[in-house]
Amino acid sequence: MSKIILPKRLEKYRYIGKNTIRHDGIAKVTGKLKYAYDIYLPGMLYGRILKSPYPHARVKKIDTSEAEKMGAVVVTFKDVPRKKFNIRLVSVDEVNYKDWEVLTDHPKFVGEYIAAVAAETEELAQKALEAIKIEWEVYEPLLDPLESMTPGKPKIHDKILFGQREVEVKNNIACTKEYVEGDPDRAFKEADIVIERVFKTNRRYHMQLEPKVAVVRPEPDGGVTIWTTTQTIHNTKILVSQVFDIPMSKVNVIKLPIGGSFGSSIQTNLVVLVAVALALKARRPVRIALTREEDILDHHSYQMIFKVRVAAKKDGTIIAGELENIMDIGAHQIQAYPLLGTALGWFVSLYKWKNIRYKGIAVYTNKTPSCAFRGYGNPQVTWAVETVIDELAEKLGIDPLELRLKNYVGRGDIFWGQGPTVKSVIRSDGVPELIRKGAELIGWDKRPKPGSQKGRYRRGIGVARGFHTSGAGGPLSGEVIDYTGAIIKVNEDGTIDYITALQDHGGGTLDAHAKIIAEELGVPLKSINIVWADTRTTLYDVCTHASRGVYVGGEAARRAARIVKQKLLEYAARILGDIATPEGLRIEPDEELGQGVIYVEGSPEKRITVGEVARIAWQRNWGSIAAAVSYRSYAAPPAFTVYFVEVEVDTETGIVRPVRVVAGADIGTVVNPDLAAGQIHGGFAQGWGMATLEDLPYDPETGELMNRGFITDYKVVTAPDMPKLDDFIVIFADTEEPTGPLGAKGIGEAAKNPVAAAVANAIYNAIGVRFYELPITPEKILKALKEKGEIKE
Amino acid sequence: MERRIRFRLNGEWVEVTVKPNELLLNVLREKFGLTGPKYACGIGECGACTVLVDGEPVLACLTLAVDVDGRDVVTIEGLARDGELHPLQKAFLEHGAIQCGYCIPGFIMVAKRLLEENPYPSEEEIREYIRGNICRCTGYVNIVKAIKAAAESLRAGSSSHT
Ligand code: FES
Ligand code: FES
Repeated sequence: MSKIILPKRLEKYRYIGKNTIRHDGIAKVTGKLKYAYDIYLPGMLYGRILKSPYPHARVKKIDTSEAEKMGAVVVTFKDVPRKKFNIRLVSVDEVNYKDWEVLTDHPKFVGEYIAAVAAETEELAQKALEAIKIEWEVYEPLLDPLESMTPGKPKIHDKILFGQREVEVKNNIACTKEYVEGDPDRAFKEADIVIERVFKTNRRYHMQLEPKVAVVRPEPDGGVTIWTTTQTIHNTKILVSQVFDIPMSKVNVIKLPIGGSFGSSIQTNLVVLVAVALALKARRPVRIALTREEDILDHHSYQMIFKVRVAAKKDGTIIAGELENIMDIGAHQIQAYPLLGTALGWFVSLYKWKNIRYKGIAVYTNKTPSCAFRGYGNPQVTWAVETVIDELAEKLGIDPLELRLKNYVGRGDIFWGQGPTVKSVIRSDGVPELIRKGAELIGWDKRPKPGSQKGRYRRGIGVARGFHTSGAGGPLSGEVIDYTGAIIKVNEDGTIDYITALQDHGGGTLDAHAKIIAEELGVPLKSINIVWADTRTTLYDVCTHASRGVYVGGEAARRAARIVKQKLLEYAARILGDIATPEGLRIEPDEELGQGVIYVEGSPEKRITVGEVARIAWQRNWGSIAAAVSYRSYAAPPAFTVYFVEVEVDTETGIVRPVRVVAGADIGTVVNPDLAAGQIHGGFAQGWGMATLEDLPYDPETGELMNRGFITDYKVVTAPDMPKLDDFIVIFADTEEPTGPLGAKGIGEAAKNPVAAAVANAIYNAIGVRFYELPITPEKILKALKEKGEIKE
Repeated sequence: MERRIRFRLNGEWVEVTVKPNELLLNVLREKFGLTGPKYACGIGECGACTVLVDGEPVLACLTLAVDVDGRDVVTIEGLARDGELHPLQKAFLEHGAIQCGYCIPGFIMVAKRLLEENPYPSEEEIREYIRGNICRCTGYVNIVKAIKAAAESLRAGSSSHT
């Protein structure tokens, strides 16, 4: 069975570091859990959206009369507030670029929303949609970012907003960022060796299993209630309030489990705003559920073109690094501007370059808007940098592991958790341990010489390391919001309600919170109830993104638990009488009673249950035992990951298969071992897809996706593509993060970030060929082998 | 032309009026409130909508409701008996095989049939059998592990389930 290696240190905890049944598990295995896609309301209408068939066009005339005659409720760009906004509200307003509209007469990609209808059945809605007549003016699309940014090309956007200020878009450049540190020119002159490479990453689709959906019910007070696929119920509330001028208190967004997301609902998916517009007009609840074909037009990853230049001394000391980053962001900005800074942050946090130059350019194209996709640019940057580092090691004749250990950014160094405005000092670092253990388990010393093999099947071992941030906090407040909130209250039977807006995407984030609360309080895990939540009953939480769920949300929960504990002890001291100080009291879980028991240290017969304390406090009018905590972290520590991957290349078919994986992760205290390992497994699968399978080419003539929206043509990893259970080992480092809840850090994105690089380095080790364009498909491998003269036509 | 059909749904005979082009998936979800079978692609590519018809895994998104007239349909909701989870459901819980959970009903239904056909599946056979089911979260590792474990517990006869 697949192995998980855990540090011994975890044994001191009761619930932390133990596998438990997840709180929503039974509802999930019995099919009873309701996701947003499962919400159907009485009296609701079905909505369908009319999308642009053209990559760039203008609506000259629109005629909806036929649709209305059929009894459908119709909204077009004429019926919605004509204001520009950004669907993502994670950055502070001053640095938010706004170029979105709810519905538009000027579509800029195939699939952009023009109008929408609602009717009694989905079938009727579809027929009504088809009855809408539009006269178009069609323009030539710009699909290549390098072409799009050349002066003289058609304008995709003209004027957009930056904060509250109007700005003009020039040469389709959405935004830029530059940065220089030290004297890179001098360093490159003084270098013994310089490597320069150009990389092109793939455009990918999240392929979260649940397509985007919104169900909106208009309320008698003029407000709306919303059920939707989202990573942030509060930002959804704020955006709906801003766009439709509804007071925030009248917009209620219900928290529901989400069927995967991976970044695709950090922003409020536009379908929510369309459903609100329809529901307000129809005065009936409206459900719009995207089909898979529609969902694949809604969100993609950022495709990046890099130029990387690295300078080093003969002894392996790196002395300079340069990165040029041209990002294809598609037709709208979601987080292009913060990502320009964050991509720089990933770059500077990988190695101690000492002298740095960065230039980032985000370019509009007539394609689906790009958004974060598990790693937020980090998998792309890490693939490029870790390829170059591997080449550098080979050129210098230094072991690639040694070169990495010599130059990586580790304990005591500064980490840029979310670009230049979010920096903090690294306090925990398991990289040396993970490199040492991983090398031993994979058999690093026995790996072949690159390109030395003959025969049909060739195996190779590759390594790459990386990290991801845990949240977006820091000592300065920065441009990224990172607040969360937790409410804990003790019931009169000793059970405990935990209320948070923070979303769990399935990684077990909220189970981790429950364990942290149980551990901190000293009550049974099963006494913690994770409460149904909505925006009205919760404190603000920015979003589950940036691998912050356990690190930031878990700490808010721990702090609330600590306050509750103090109150419990204080009241218990009053009740028990004769107690010198509450500090002399202890709480222990009693699994049989299903609640905590408070007792006097050294005199265990003097005891009272948590429930009894709550009940007496309530009877004697001392008040409910509860706490509400708002929290923003003062650090954003990196969770480090090191991947060793062995691949086998079939030189006849070009097909690569993963043979063995040794994945090392430094996530501080491991709260849910099986689920944390699950993050690694899933991260590897997505990274493998990025490295070898996934791509979204566009037809240069029509500006349409060549995959035509069918997942038949968008290949993701399936079960037979993964290594055998015995050949997938996960190692957790023995570290503890001082700023994290009971020592924990994040995991979700770190689990994926170095995978593509490790796979590419392993392919090089097997066949002696480097690839600078993802995905590394069988066709590319066969072509390269032919060019090397290793196989015949 | 609408048609009245009658079929056994999770053990009970039910009747419903459907259109000839109505999909089983929509009928289950909207007319019977059984939202365990999921929509994720609608074209038979992901397995999230899998139900058992006369014991065989069937993609409800590609099946017409009229085709199950007179037949036996089991959804994920009908798997647990008298409050007792099926060994597959238990194994998925115990092996951390569930993340977002959206794909899980489909996997469990397919795996149920696999274990009936082949009580001793090798790891490779498990992987082949579930290759039509997509999971974007787990990398299939803990899912394969759970199916293996469920096979063992079924063989040990620890349950009355078949
Ligand atoms: S929804 Fe039926 S196979 Fe995907
Ligand atoms: S658990 Fe999320 S898709 Fe499988």
